[in-house]
Amino acid sequence: MNMVFQINGRDVGIEVSDSELLLDTLRHIGFSSVREGCGVGACGSCTVLVDGKSVSSCLVLTSRCNGSSILTSEGLADDDPVVSQFIKNGAAQCGYCIPGFVMMVSELLSENPIPTEQEIYNHLEGNICRCGSYPEIVQAAMDASKAKQTSKLTC
Amino acid sequence: MRPNVFRPQSLQEACSLLEEHEEALVYGGGTALQILLKQGILVGSSFIDISGIPGLAEISFTDDFLRVGPMVTLRRMERSEEIRELFSLASSAYAKVANPRVRNTATVGGNIAHGDYRLDPPVALLVLGASVELTSRNSIRKVPLEEFFVDFQVTDISAGEIVTAVEIPRSIHIVGSSFVKLSSLSANDWPSASAAVGLMENDNGVHTLRLALGALAATPVMATVDIRNLNLDQTLEASLSKAMELMDPIADVRGSVKYKLRLGRVAVEEAIRSAWKEVPNGR
Repeated sequence: MNMVFQINGRDVGIEVSDSELLLDTLRHIGFSSVREGCGVGACGSCTVLVDGKSVSSCLVLTSRCNGSSILTSEGLADDDPVVSQFIKNGAAQCGYCIPGFVMMVSELLSENPIPTEQEIYNHLEGNICRCGSYPEIVQAAMDASKAKQTSKLTC
Repeated sequence: MRPNVFRPQSLQEACSLLEEHEEALVYGGGTALQILLKQGILVGSSFIDISGIPGLAEISFTDDFLRVGPMVTLRRMERSEEIRELFSLASSAYAKVANPRVRNTATVGGNIAHGDYRLDPPVALLVLGASVELTSRNSIRKVPLEEFFVDFQVTDISAGEIVTAVEIPRSIHIVGSSFVKLSSLSANDWPSASAAVGLMENDNGVHTLRLALGALAATPVMATVDIRNLNLDQTLEASLSKAMELMDPIADVRGSVKYKLRLGRVAVEEAIRSAWKEVPNGR
């Protein structure tokens, strides 16, 4: 079918087959931050936001996203507080899983701007980092929450 | 073979398609179906994508029921303020399914229709006395959840029927409740045992304990226990003995029969102790 959706704020019109998954569509167009890990929704490497909600793009039919707005980590600003705090905290080793973590933290902070450490753990429970950068990732999420609060106050 | 996807725009159209294409599966959120496709368990199926049908993603309250449309996502059940307030047992069970991304995608209707014996939501919904509305081209019927799960991976849904709502009655007055999920692999994996408990009260105090178990038999199962005049220890004893009658676990990678029986007892006891704490003034 022919469909139109927004990717990182840009309208994109494409033709997709009935069985095409969002992960494959996005990678084919060139969004290589969206990565396949487990392929069954359990690892979080392919996380993107569809209309502001996190999904595993390996389980979502592209055709279902007709008219939707997709955000991948390429769509975040260079000075995005989540990205900045991941860099500051060195919250990556090989980095394969990190775009997924960044998108999950972005979703969390939009729903719950000042999460507790436990709430961060709960929200990231389905993201796996095989390098084990979890302490740095959780610290980055907490620092991003603080940075966002500070920038709100100074605006 | 490439799946064929139909995209009906009305319930009537969807029901007619289901009747015409007996092999077709209703596509809700697709989280279970996509995994089954990748595993090669589903091959060449056609799907009826019901996401384009208006009105199927609504949560509404009537005087008698909470009515949840089949396309409401699990995460909305977890986060809805109204549901948290009125049916906290349901919110807490929906919050335990997989991870937030799966809960943003998976739907209430698909979850029930999947019929797996290890699912979290049905365990809470059984305690809450929920029923399932099934619609076909010529009829609408309501099935109490207790009768909905027929056997291992088998539900009461007949050919041509679609889950069109899950309803939770407002008449069952639960004063304390708890859902406990115990997993042997990772925390967000399928459980080895789960239990939901609801304590029912009338003017004479707490009189009945509603108990449901997940992952401990071929289907989710439930029972009621008369606990009039029983203290906590007596309630635990009566409920555990009832739970032992319900449990008939299937051995798998998540544990042996003996292990699951043991975890089942732990889940029941934890759920009762935690529900008990919610009852105002103890007994």
